Amino acid sequence: MQRIGVIGTGTMGIGIVQVAAQQGLDVVAVEIDEGRSRAARESLGKTFDRLVERGRLGREEADAALARIRWTTLYDDLDGVEAVIEAVPERIELKHHVFRELDAVCRPDALLATNTSSLSVTEIGAVVRDQTRVLGLHFFNPVPLMALVEIVRALHTSPAVLERARGLVQQLGKTAVEVTDTPGFIVNRVARPFYNEALRLLNDGVADAATIDRIMKQALGFRMGPFELMDLIGNDVNFAVTSSLFQSYFGEPRYRPSHIQERLVKAGLLGRKTGQGYYKYER
Amino acid sequence: MSGNTLLVVGEGAWVGAVAEFLRPSGWRIATYALEPPSHPVDEGDVGRRLIGEALGPLAAEASVAMETVLWPFERKRALVRALDAVLPPSVPLATWCSAQSTTEIASWTQHPSRVVGYSLLPPLELVQLVEIAPGLATAAAASATVEELFAAAGRETARVRDDAGLVAARIVCLIINEAAAMVQEGVATPRDIDTALRLGANYPRGPLEWADAMGIDTVYAVLAGLLAEQQEDRYRPCPLLRKMVLAGRLGRKSGRGFFEYDSA
Repeated sequence: MQRIGVIGTGTMGIGIVQVAAQQGLDVVAVEIDEGRSRAARESLGKTFDRLVERGRLGREEADAALARIRWTTLYDDLDGVEAVIEAVPERIELKHHVFRELDAVCRPDALLATNTSSLSVTEIGAVVRDQTRVLGLHFFNPVPLMALVEIVRALHTSPAVLERARGLVQQLGKTAVEVTDTPGFIVNRVARPFYNEALRLLNDGVADAATIDRIMKQALGFRMGPFELMDLIGNDVNFAVTSSLFQSYFGEPRYRPSHIQERLVKAGLLGRKTGQGYYKYER
Repeated sequence: MSGNTLLVVGEGAWVGAVAEFLRPSGWRIATYALEPPSHPVDEGDVGRRLIGEALGPLAAEASVAMETVLWPFERKRALVRALDAVLPPSVPLATWCSAQSTTEIASWTQHPSRVVGYSLLPPLELVQLVEIAPGLATAAAASATVEELFAAAGRETARVRDDAGLVAARIVCLIINEAAAMVQEGVATPRDIDTALRLGANYPRGPLEWADAMGIDTVYAVLAGLLAEQQEDRYRPCPLLRKMVLAGRLGRKSGRGFFEYDSA
């Protein structure tokens, strides 16, 4: 592929734009709010400046990457792209609005991908006429550093579309895994007990947070313990993922969230970003 | 350097691995290997004599005895009872409590105050820390002696409350259970699941490759023990894991688990 579109310039969208441009793809970055679009452009310019200062990227390469990005507020500018990756906030009405727009303006053979982590790809794609070209491309934060992309097969996604998606992920320099459209896909589901069972152990008084973290690192070789990691991710974010999975699986007890974590969220003890979570941090 | 002697009793390569793990302690270490079980999940398989005449003299010289059997539970119970019968009452018995609580294991014996739970998971290469869980009836001196043994071997210990699975085994086996459920549901391949967790969550190993290294029987035992203790749906072992145990697909040690291995 040579030309892709990215919808939304939040943390994930801007990360995908950066990676695609650095990997030599032309990118149409659609952000309907002009102010946000301008802010994203400035922010990515600064990111590239930092990469150049640290010697990670030559000035010319950075300038070439930036020149490959077209910043726009108009869906109509997507007319020539071969794939679109949507990365707008996780609200189904908003996703449906975007996919209706994409259905209207994109080439009929363009891949229509969503970066959703908590909604059903099949449900998002249900508003598109040809649903065989809809799929999930789930990137991880921070996009430039995380090597993984989950390719999500929706109910109607065609094998040919999956094949082209694998090619795109490879072009982006990432490693693809494939998963059927099920709540949490692979990572958010399989990793759930790492956090959730640690909370259960804390709740039951088996050990305190620091002891559980120490055991997970020294007995099993994890790089961070669950409580350190929840403080880093943000308890609000982690609690939202667990709650979403619990609801999506209709109350399956394996995914039941912890009231301990809910209390921290309600109290604003979100972790590092607020100076306190399970631990206290110097601000 | 002490004049202490440790007796390690168990099966297969695991007895030797545990003995090696404790070798730096400087204690004299005697090992006693049991006959392998005739059937992987036959809990009634205790008709055969588990322990021969040779154990008696080893038990008489032990300062600490350590049993390293997790599964089947009936077999573990038979072993713990046999050791309790031959060991002098003052000798601490360290029991592998990754699947059942120390208090439960101690309840099988005539001398529950000497029973101290420890939790260790194969493979041992990366393990720097051992969890120790005294049961409700465990004497403080017995726990201290077992902790001294691990400390002498240069291993850190962490004391945790005595609940089935303790911390590490409980969390990692539930992660594996979730991965196994995805394989059972057919929504992702074992290879992709492992890649996803290594690259998307920075895991030191993929959960299914980890399960193969740990032994599918060990994983199943931890989950079955958790379910028995907690009595909650949350801990239900994935049926695929039980079938793998029944079929002898135990992971690396049998040449096949979620992945295939060249048999040695």
